[in-house]
Amino acid sequence: MVLYRLIFIFMPVVIYMAFMWAPPAAILGDASRILYFHVPVAWVSVVAFIVSGVQSILFLVTENRRREREYMAYNSAAAGMVFTILTVITGSIWAKLSWGSYWNWDPRETSIVVLMLIYIAYLSLYSSLKEHPNRGGISSVYLIIAMITMPFFIFIIPRIYSSLHPDTIINQEGKIHLEPAMRITLFSSIVTFTLLYGYIYRLMNRISRLEIKAEEKHYDI
Amino acid sequence: MQSRIFKNLRKDFLIEFRNRSAVNISFAFAGITTLSVSLACGGATLSPQIHSVLLWIIIFFSGMSGLSHIFIREEEERTSLFLALHSDPENIYLSKLVFNIILFSCITALVTPLYLFFMQVVPAYTVYFILTAASGSLAISSITTILGAMVAKAESRSSLFTVISFPVMIPVLWISIKLTSDSIEGGAPPELRSLLFLLAFSGVIISVSYLAFKFIWTEQ
Amino acid sequence: MHKNYSLHINKISKRFRKQLLFRDISFSAETGESYFITGPNGSGKSTMLQIIAGVQKSTAGEIFFSRGKKEIPAGERFSHFGFTSPAVNPYDMLTAAENIRFASSGVKDEQIDEMLSLFGLYPHRSKHVGLYSSGMKQRVRLIIAMIDSPGILLLDEPSSNLDSAGKDILFSEIERIRKDTVIVIATNEHDEIKLCTKGIDIAEQNL
Repeated sequence: MVLYRLIFIFMPVVIYMAFMWAPPAAILGDASRILYFHVPVAWVSVVAFIVSGVQSILFLVTENRRREREYMAYNSAAAGMVFTILTVITGSIWAKLSWGSYWNWDPRETSIVVLMLIYIAYLSLYSSLKEHPNRGGISSVYLIIAMITMPFFIFIIPRIYSSLHPDTIINQEGKIHLEPAMRITLFSSIVTFTLLYGYIYRLMNRISRLEIKAEEKHYDI
Repeated sequence: MQSRIFKNLRKDFLIEFRNRSAVNISFAFAGITTLSVSLACGGATLSPQIHSVLLWIIIFFSGMSGLSHIFIREEEERTSLFLALHSDPENIYLSKLVFNIILFSCITALVTPLYLFFMQVVPAYTVYFILTAASGSLAISSITTILGAMVAKAESRSSLFTVISFPVMIPVLWISIKLTSDSIEGGAPPELRSLLFLLAFSGVIISVSYLAFKFIWTEQ
Repeated sequence: MHKNYSLHINKISKRFRKQLLFRDISFSAETGESYFITGPNGSGKSTMLQIIAGVQKSTAGEIFFSRGKKEIPAGERFSHFGFTSPAVNPYDMLTAAENIRFASSGVKDEQIDEMLSLFGLYPHRSKHVGLYSSGMKQRVRLIIAMIDSPGILLLDEPSSNLDSAGKDILFSEIERIRKDTVIVIATNEHDEIKLCTKGIDIAEQNL
């Protein structure tokens, strides 16, 4: 798709904007530029998780294109896993710079780790079901169960811990506390990283589809 | 439907009672972990929060050691086809769930008094403490039933079971630890809302599992 | 005794991940008919029966199953089936009678005892099935399949592990119930094929 080709233009532009164009933040200085990478990868981790969960639900409720959906749920989780690791790494670098230590079990850190644990659990479940005829069904149910525990996290985390993390993009007041140039950079970065995820996801799905096709041709079904 | 659930339950209890080793091992595991923790602490004075963390770690791992057994047994003895032929998936799920709830309530009922006895802890709000332990173990058994059904079909089951249970169980553990430490410490009046949270969590998990169980049990 | 049951298998195919087992198998059978499915080892006879019984899903195709003119929905099927296969294992820690009572939908104890003595297991009725020999276990499987006098009886290698006395009992039971039952047998044994009115060779239909 042409849309995804745009990535080759957007990505360099965003990198330029993040490092050169956007002004440094008040206290953190140039270190704050990690924001333009940390927030987008965190966003993509969540998007990939939701896509994976929706594909799992579709897998269970639809009759056709089963094998494809199984791979599509898996592919999104595999891509999401990489983005989650990137989120943890960029997040802990930022935490070291602004709070003084790489890890302090802040609620936001905790929730991204829980997301990572869910991905790890899903991928290990998936791989240990290797030859099981019902691999798709079982792993889909796991993702759905993991998804429905998410609202409970959102409910309990603020009740148990107080956070040092800056407000997320969408906060209670519905306002964004960033200078216009920073805001533009951040949003174009989010769009670009979402496109990047979509591009990777689409390539992975294409590989899976080809694999299925080759298999079916080979076994003539 | 009820008679089918009852039949399944009766069968599970008969088998587990005749071949006591699995259940015995779960109880022995729970008891020994409690003893070894209190031995290791050796009379040190711990804060209520540490007490409740230790208690819930023991309860969590006792559940991990025993609660997947009921489905794994069907796969290991290759009886799952026999079971599938004569019951709806929904009935199988409900009977296994009831079995796990009963088993895990017994395990918690063993671990908690043992812990209090050996660590010489006296909870400030006894009823609140008991209610927390009961609803926490209800939540743990409702999650582990569906996850146990999943790992029973997979390879390297017991370690996988812990891996896939932990992330889903974190909210339960957090809330239970907080409530237990409150009830040991006293002070702030009991918070019923968090107890309701545990019950609501179990309710949601049980209803989703009830709907989704057939996708695990029968091939898609 | 039974209303007319009929079973229609329409173009069933089955594939395990990468391996095609069989393709486009169609047949039908009605009450009073007994149907055999034969084919070399690994051709998918057992899988076919498990698909009919609803414990496995087919990759493609449909199964219609009706009583009189009414189609029976998939969820209620298992109460109309009797199914036996070497893969169906009774619980080792239960006695034969307990296993049968677990499988049946509420038959009386006398009926269970009657079946047990018919298959020569009455003297062993209070032993755990785990202590049985493989031939005795096969007899338990047959009783479990037949205890509810189901409208459709699916037998996968029914005489495996049976001695000649056991086979005689099995064949005379099949003779007795065949008028009122749809019987589908997956087998390679000649004397079982001889019992049937018609049948297919899965491997040949694949070609």
